[in-house]
Amino acid sequence: MMDERSLGIARRLTISYIVASTAILAASGLLGVILRWSQAVPQARVGDNFWYAMMTAHGLGAFVGWGAFAVMGLAWWVLAGVGFPVRGFGLAMARITWWLMVLGVIGVIITTIFMGFAASWVFLYPLPFYGKGNWGDWATGLFSFSVLLAGLAIVTWCFAILHTVTNREALDSVSSSIGKRLGLAFGWGFLMPRTFATKVRSVPYPVIPLAVIGLDMIIATLPLAGLLVWQILQSMGVVGSASDLLAKNILWWFGHPVVYLLLFPAVAVYYWLIPRYAGRNLVAGHVIAVAWTVAVIANVFVWAHHLYLDYPSGTSQAQINTAMQPITFALVLPSALSLYSLAFTIYRSKFRWTPASTALFFGLVGWLLAGLSGVVNATIALDVAIHNTLWIVGHFHHMAMLNIGLLIFGAVYALLPELSGKALYSEKLAWVHVWTTFVAGMAFFGLWLVQGLDGAPRRWSVLPSQYDSITRISLVFVFLLAAAQALFFWNVIQTLRGKSGVATFDERGIPIPAASTKEWSVHAAEGALVLVALLLAFAFAVGGFFVGRETGNGGGGATTTETGTSAAITGNAEAGAEVFASSGCGGCHTLAAADATGNVGPSLDASKPTEALVIDRVTNGKGQMSSFDPSLSDQQIADVAAYVAQSAGK
Amino acid sequence: MSHTAIIITVAYSIAVVIGSAISFAVFHSTTRPLDEDRAGTWSRRETTWLVVMVVVLFGLLMGTIFYVPYGDTAGPNGQVVRVTGVQYAWAIDVPQPLVVGRPVTFFARSRDVAHGFGVYNPKGTLIFQAQVVADHEQKIVHTFTEPGTYEVLCLEYCGAGHHTMKSKFEVKPA
Repeated sequence: MMDERSLGIARRLTISYIVASTAILAASGLLGVILRWSQAVPQARVGDNFWYAMMTAHGLGAFVGWGAFAVMGLAWWVLAGVGFPVRGFGLAMARITWWLMVLGVIGVIITTIFMGFAASWVFLYPLPFYGKGNWGDWATGLFSFSVLLAGLAIVTWCFAILHTVTNREALDSVSSSIGKRLGLAFGWGFLMPRTFATKVRSVPYPVIPLAVIGLDMIIATLPLAGLLVWQILQSMGVVGSASDLLAKNILWWFGHPVVYLLLFPAVAVYYWLIPRYAGRNLVAGHVIAVAWTVAVIANVFVWAHHLYLDYPSGTSQAQINTAMQPITFALVLPSALSLYSLAFTIYRSKFRWTPASTALFFGLVGWLLAGLSGVVNATIALDVAIHNTLWIVGHFHHMAMLNIGLLIFGAVYALLPELSGKALYSEKLAWVHVWTTFVAGMAFFGLWLVQGLDGAPRRWSVLPSQYDSITRISLVFVFLLAAAQALFFWNVIQTLRGKSGVATFDERGIPIPAASTKEWSVHAAEGALVLVALLLAFAFAVGGFFVGRETGNGGGGATTTETGTSAAITGNAEAGAEVFASSGCGGCHTLAAADATGNVGPSLDASKPTEALVIDRVTNGKGQMSSFDPSLSDQQIADVAAYVAQSAGK
Repeated sequence: MSHTAIIITVAYSIAVVIGSAISFAVFHSTTRPLDEDRAGTWSRRETTWLVVMVVVLFGLLMGTIFYVPYGDTAGPNGQVVRVTGVQYAWAIDVPQPLVVGRPVTFFARSRDVAHGFGVYNPKGTLIFQAQVVADHEQKIVHTFTEPGTYEVLCLEYCGAGHHTMKSKFEVKPA
């Protein structure tokens, strides 16, 4: 059934997704290194808003632009491998997906790095509209549009997947009904063979998770698209503000299933490749179809486990949250059964250990670790201790890098030769890359878990000082991890350039390592040199952009230097007006001159404080008012005092 | 670390040790491959594994679901604190000095974006937290057991000054 033409189409699709997503990994990975570096080394500290803008780009880029995009591309080659050609409508959708995703990611990079949008990848409503001068409504509108493009890419991919997996011929389906074909793709032929009858074979296992996520991501993404359209309209002033609690629910209605947009296609790849390296069929019975059926439903009904600590009075959020714990536990079952199947497929088999299969195996270990920390997150009584701490960051990096990431690396090493027809450039470099990624990743992300258990808050550009020592230790592993990825990029580039000749395969379809003419260390040195040069260029570019940006704003440099309290500071009322606006003073105080109507603290128009009194209150706080000393410089405090003293009561 | 964090540490460490041992066993087993095909037996045992998982997860559910923080009340002896979050400060209104041993109800609101009300004890341990969104009042009940200065950090990303959003309040001995 799979003719050369269909194979060629799938091959080109997969290569185009892999190449684009790997480039995105390079960019977002570098941002990740700078983020942790800035946290660890005071001299390397970047501006706060720039840090959060990079965090926004890193999150969306690495998670959606790399992880999701890469496994979405691998899906085409897996489907071709089990006899499902991409054609007609499905092919058109698959091609549109590529363009939408690439344009979306470019838009995210522009709006964050160059326009300062820094509301994080979850852009928790209404934060996109509270940029406080760091970004404007223009950036919010464009960012929302870019994420909308990426969201549409997911939807078009889903249509392409559903079109492909319901291919009657490939399914050997007796019935032509679309419902029955979809049921077959979900694996219901295992459970009800009469209703979901096939002529020859039941559905290949890798098809099931793809069919499940193909349906779920349409359901998950459409409400988010609505929210994004609302944000675009609000940025243009067409509509007013939306309900923040509803928006938060909509965000997570998408935000949880999107994790499984990475996992489920990854499972399809495991189902397809692990048997190849083990030399036996996937060890799986019919019960796995039950688990995937649970997944179809449960996947879109677990969103509120991200809102466990939202339970405001007068809403049903607490009840919804409580219902989410058992449903989330139910979602553990497909993972538990898949890990069982894959482990027994490997167990006492004639497994061929190559860098590719080792990466896949480590990916399974990463999946187990991420799953275990995920069960902690899913339990409300435990979540209280680790919610929004660095534990969560450790958890999803285990998931994204050590499960999905290693799977992608393994799949690239296993499949690049058959996709490109060229032998892998260096098997040795691949060994070093896989082992270093696993070991350094375990250490780096493990330290996040430790910091989180110790209460370290998440998404803080500067952590409280008691966490500094572990942050600095982790820097060693950050650099090891980054260096290992450099070897990967070099290996892929050299492979695609055909540096090791034509690919050959053994009887199982596993690529045979090319005989190398050079020592592997020579390869590594070459790759490292090129990448160090690129890294330096990138670092200088970022540094130059950052310094220019700060200078342009009339602010200081990259590092904050305490100058000590000088008696000679005089306040500038004009600058003070900006400090008043950006520090949220108006949230609590009334000041007509600034259009501020807060009523938590005393009205400044009524009390008309002196300059000295304002300096004292802002510096030391009093009663309900907290000290702004940590967040404002002495000059800024003097400025705001001058402003308040001059404009109060006018 | 809080008691809950210690429970997580112990449970997760045990699970990771067991998981690593199993992973290594699977890895090592490939050095002595089987000639016969036992896939049929292993596939049938998958049902047993499913039952085991369901029982374990049900046990965890029953063991934890009664410890949710929802719907707590302070009772007649309670103390009341009103909290307002703004970008980037907490306004904490403590009408009378808080004392240990008497439940405190925090009524928290936000003036702008979503914030996270995270309370750390004098030793720097995170003891409780809840999310605060604008336009909804969040009620959190907690009984303090030790006197001292408590620090409030923002635990929901709220913009460029998020990490400067800190505040303090005092709890006095009974």
